[in-house]
Amino acid sequence: MTLAFLVVLLAQAGSGIEAFQRGDYKTARNLLDQAPASDARAKAFLSIVRAATGECEAVAPDLARQASGSDPVLRRLTALALAQCHIAAKQFTQAGPVIAKLEQEFPSDPDVLYVSANYHMKAWNDAIYRMYQAAPSSYRTDQLSAEVFETQGRMTEAIAEFRKATAKNPRAINLHYRLGRALLQQSHNPAALDEARKEFDAELALNPSDAVAEYQVAQIFATQGKKAESAARYERAAQLRPDFPEALIAVAKLRSEAKRYPEAVALLEKAVKLQPRSEAARYALMLAYRNAGRTAEAQQAKTDLDKLQKPPEGEFTNFLKRLGEKPPQ
Amino acid sequence: MKRWCAILCASQCIAQNPLPQFRDMAREAGITQVVPNGGTTSKQFILETTGSGVALIDYDNDGKPDAFVASGPGSPSRMYHNEGRGKFRETTAELGLTRQGWAQGVCAGDYDNDGYTDLFVTYWGQNSLYRNVGGKHFEDVAGNLGLTQARTRYNTGCAFLDYDNDGKLDLFVANYLKFDFDSTPQPGANPYCFYRGIAVNCGPRGLPFDRNLLYHNQGGTFRDVSDASGISKPNGNYALGVLTADFDGDGLTDIYVACDQTPSILYINQGDGTFSEEALLRGAALDESGKALSGMGVAAADYLHEGRPSIFRTNFSDELETMYRNRGKGEFEDASIEAGLGQNTRFVGWGCGFLDFDNDGWPDLLLVNGHAFPEVDKLNIDVHYRERAILYRNNKGHFVDISEKAGPGITTRHSSRGLAIADIDDDGTEEILVNNQGEPPSLLRQTAKPSGHWITLKLTGVKANRSAIGARVRVTAGTLVQTAEVRSGGGYLSQSDFRLHFGLGSSTAVDRVEITWPGGAKQVVRGLEADRVTPIREQ
Repeated sequence: MTLAFLVVLLAQAGSGIEAFQRGDYKTARNLLDQAPASDARAKAFLSIVRAATGECEAVAPDLARQASGSDPVLRRLTALALAQCHIAAKQFTQAGPVIAKLEQEFPSDPDVLYVSANYHMKAWNDAIYRMYQAAPSSYRTDQLSAEVFETQGRMTEAIAEFRKATAKNPRAINLHYRLGRALLQQSHNPAALDEARKEFDAELALNPSDAVAEYQVAQIFATQGKKAESAARYERAAQLRPDFPEALIAVAKLRSEAKRYPEAVALLEKAVKLQPRSEAARYALMLAYRNAGRTAEAQQAKTDLDKLQKPPEGEFTNFLKRLGEKPPQ
Repeated sequence: MKRWCAILCASQCIAQNPLPQFRDMAREAGITQVVPNGGTTSKQFILETTGSGVALIDYDNDGKPDAFVASGPGSPSRMYHNEGRGKFRETTAELGLTRQGWAQGVCAGDYDNDGYTDLFVTYWGQNSLYRNVGGKHFEDVAGNLGLTQARTRYNTGCAFLDYDNDGKLDLFVANYLKFDFDSTPQPGANPYCFYRGIAVNCGPRGLPFDRNLLYHNQGGTFRDVSDASGISKPNGNYALGVLTADFDGDGLTDIYVACDQTPSILYINQGDGTFSEEALLRGAALDESGKALSGMGVAAADYLHEGRPSIFRTNFSDELETMYRNRGKGEFEDASIEAGLGQNTRFVGWGCGFLDFDNDGWPDLLLVNGHAFPEVDKLNIDVHYRERAILYRNNKGHFVDISEKAGPGITTRHSSRGLAIADIDDDGTEEILVNNQGEPPSLLRQTAKPSGHWITLKLTGVKANRSAIGARVRVTAGTLVQTAEVRSGGGYLSQSDFRLHFGLGSSTAVDRVEITWPGGAKQVVRGLEADRVTPIREQ
């Protein structure tokens, strides 16, 4: 091969990549096909073009090899193409590891995150479809429908589906809890509290060691002004799960009310250790230090809380900042 | 068993005190003009959501509180003179109150100590300080007295206070955010312009913060001391309702500011002309989970008879109302649930105030509601643009919601904002004036007189400011010991009567009244008869 011919081929490869980038896959394919075999970049783009034009199956081995290459740019592009091929073919088992590797290497890359979201969504849709086909009247189908409605904020429908599920399988773990929670989210009516409490108690009847259900009952009693009942349930939730920060915070408040400040502080220090980013735990600890007269530690806790409450930096925050910088007319 | 006993006790307690019946008597009283405040079916800008306040002040010293209603564009803010026998006459034009604009808050005080109560009205735009000329005319002297602002500000709550105890009333003005019609995004423009999936006016999140203002009364003019005093230091709060009180009991007036979607502010008066913002550490900034709520209105009362002012704040829907119990020394704890305020979460609360409607000596609590977004009605959920009020009876420190049985004055739905409280006819029961967006105001009155005895104290300062703002009063009648403070502003951008009303229960006399005037002078008055308005002049 003459040097002049090689230059022409490389130029064609370059033009092929340009054609790919402007979405002209036909021209890109023609030009990249003619690239020298040694041009790894052109070959990678050729694989990508072929994948984009419906030749996924044929090109998958090439993409898999190229996705392990040394050039991070080509690695990223070919892995994305390979993942999309697998998703399109509903080969979710194969897609999973490719996407996991991409997310590990490019954790903030919007294209990677988009493909990952797409993968999970399609895998989820596929699983639901199979479930509706295979077991349309199972309580699990009703439960799943309820959870879908829940994510859409359609709590009335969610409750109806949860009720169907609990009717079909009243002994299923976690169903009564989910129903109770949906009842609390659906209505501002104080009457909903009792209805929800019944479900949490039903959950506890099935699973007496469910600290979260116990905690929910405690909260309902507290809201209803039933202080003694509420305190007993908070205590029990914390006993059931000594690593449950919300329960520790609640019990610490009981200790503070009883002016047993050192005990409150100890519980809250533990809660903060368990969940360092919990504003509730940090705030309660700050007040507990204050109540205990430990001013310097309260100040330090305040500083920690201030840091935690600082809005996260990011694209949207910057956008809002720009809005904020507009001077009033 | 224990639970049944509690229920039995509660029902017996209520049976002993018949429920009040409130009726709206605004129309028959002559308070009939609609208060415009932007759209009533949709609102394009946040500015349409926050107005406006009301005031009950005696502007002509005839002993009867008159009614002032702040308004958005389309109407001037209006004054109604109390003619007696439950009738009011509009005097807006004759008093010279012709200005129209985005009026927000109102607070009162005799800033020039001439014996006539002056009025300060905040605006999106320049504020107005209406000097009361002999009870016959108001003239806007804001520009002449150093209160002109260099740019357009979104002024909200305000209060006169004598923070340096020099006998002259200074002025605090809260600022919500930086707003202008041109650069504020349209509904739906960004994620902060949606509510439950529907496009609504943008903000406050996403709109720029502004800083609060403090003006020092120089004896004729005001000087902006916001920076020097530390008032302008907080720069991350959307400030609305203002409440002044001596929260830490050091004889100096502090300032609490309810803030929307951001931590509320507590300025502690350092006694040297400066303030230190200490809400977080003092436990009055956030809810008990460490989250900032959407604070709107704010009121104070010694609701547990502990001798200290606790703070009540109204918030947004899906949030609890907040009661910050004062533990002493100005340290607070969130006692909302313990106080019985844990269950009303569907309301967006605005105006609020303590009043003793049954004169049992325990301050009860009223708040008025209405969603910020009229568009919420399209959602067909249990949250509405127009909502009823909430009335809590104070059952010896625990609040019991009696709203649904407290008469049409409470249950009728409006989109309400400010409220002010005064006994407009000196009959021993307090009335409530409420500003309703896009409707005439309400004037709520009880249909029957409660059985409890009462006393109303009208304080006049001599060395202290004439309005006696900042004076703290301790009233002892038998075993009942109550405390209260004369204050300017408060609630949601509103001004209640300066006179202090105390229910006395079965006591027919007051054993002792102890007044601590601003500056620290103490005065004791003994043996006052109940069921009358008693003037007390500083000695």
